[in-house]
Amino acid sequence: MSTVAERLDEVVDDFVDLDGREKLEMLLEYAATLPPLPPGHAGLDENRVHECQSPVFIEVDLRPAENGQPGVYLQAEVAEEAPTVRGFVAVLAKAFAGRPADEVLAVDDTLLDRLGLADVLGMLRTRGLRAIIEYVKRGVVRRLAADEG
Amino acid sequence: MASYANEDVLVSTEWVANVAANPEAHPNVRIVESDEDRALYTQGHVPGAVEIDWQVDLQDATWRDYIDRAAFEDLCRRKGISNDTTVVFYGDKSNWWACYAFWTFKLYGHADCRIMNGGRKKWALEGRPWSTDRVDPAAGTYTASEQDMSIRALRDEVLQHQEARKPLIDVRSPEEYSGERLHMPDYPNEGSLRGGHIPGAISIPWPLSVNEDGTFKSADELTALYVTEGKLSPEADTVAYCRIGERSSLTWFVLTYLLGFSNVKNYDGSWLEWGNAVRMPIVKGTSPR
Repeated sequence: MSTVAERLDEVVDDFVDLDGREKLEMLLEYAATLPPLPPGHAGLDENRVHECQSPVFIEVDLRPAENGQPGVYLQAEVAEEAPTVRGFVAVLAKAFAGRPADEVLAVDDTLLDRLGLADVLGMLRTRGLRAIIEYVKRGVVRRLAADEG
Repeated sequence: MASYANEDVLVSTEWVANVAANPEAHPNVRIVESDEDRALYTQGHVPGAVEIDWQVDLQDATWRDYIDRAAFEDLCRRKGISNDTTVVFYGDKSNWWACYAFWTFKLYGHADCRIMNGGRKKWALEGRPWSTDRVDPAAGTYTASEQDMSIRALRDEVLQHQEARKPLIDVRSPEEYSGERLHMPDYPNEGSLRGGHIPGAISIPWPLSVNEDGTFKSADELTALYVTEGKLSPEADTVAYCRIGERSSLTWFVLTYLLGFSNVKNYDGSWLEWGNAVRMPIVKGTSPR
């Protein structure tokens, strides 16, 4: 089972040679794979990403992965009007799925530079996506604390 | 019922659909989409529409300013826009960014700009077709004017404007106006150090100008809002601002083109500049002063 870093390297490989339009198309492809929130979990304020444009709800779970060890899982609801955010959250959900917390916490915001999204999205939007990485990492830290407590 | 001061500046979705279906019959029309989320255009746009992005295309990447005249000319050429082209803007979010692009085109003196009333939302509600085709128009020929500073207010001018007690409109949310919050509800805080409003500014939040389907309110409703209740005068020097100048470009559009105000400027530096600059007078709370 590949690590978060290895999976993100693969995503970067997907994006790196694309032109701006193709990068947005690739984000839309990822967007279609976003795992939805379970019934009843949509719109819960505890899952709301307040840093984000448009309504975005991300639930960070820590539960046994296939190997029996605790793994990070993301499920999310992102407004139709924000496909860029939906695509980026889907990238993270895919890369993190089932991997241990320390691998997720090691992800930094150079990911956006490596994906080459800043030129396509501009500075303000890229900052919004950076905030999502931080939001997810804070969620992981909270889950770890809850499990220990 | 009164009509808009400029009836022609708004075009209907039906009119645009007709252009999109018969582009050969309208060689002089260019449809332009401007969105908050760029992937919306990628996901599906009005057939034949090109995209102009407010951040990547219209803003200078180094200076905090709009692209310069030469870059604007180059942008128009690439997008198949010539000086005599009828440019029809539309987009997401009740046409915020469409109005922003419209304003930028007027800044460089483009003659014939229109807005598709209702934007993406109305087009979708009516079940009209989306296209994912790449649009690569034949290059236009373009010569831009110098910036028309009669529609753009810079910081020092706004400082004098408020000292002279001339009309100012704050179009942000009531919470941003009072200083309770530094950014739009549900939006990221893009770094204002102080909250509140410019002394003397009245609060008329932008959403009051639009309907649920993204279209503009009627001329009578807009007159009631801005002239009757807002006590604004169509001839007075008036400045509108928001946080980064996009919502206020919608209000600028409404006042200038739909109500026929003769002297409205958009303060594009807006709160992101005012709330960060040193020694700017600020009022907190719900009263203008």
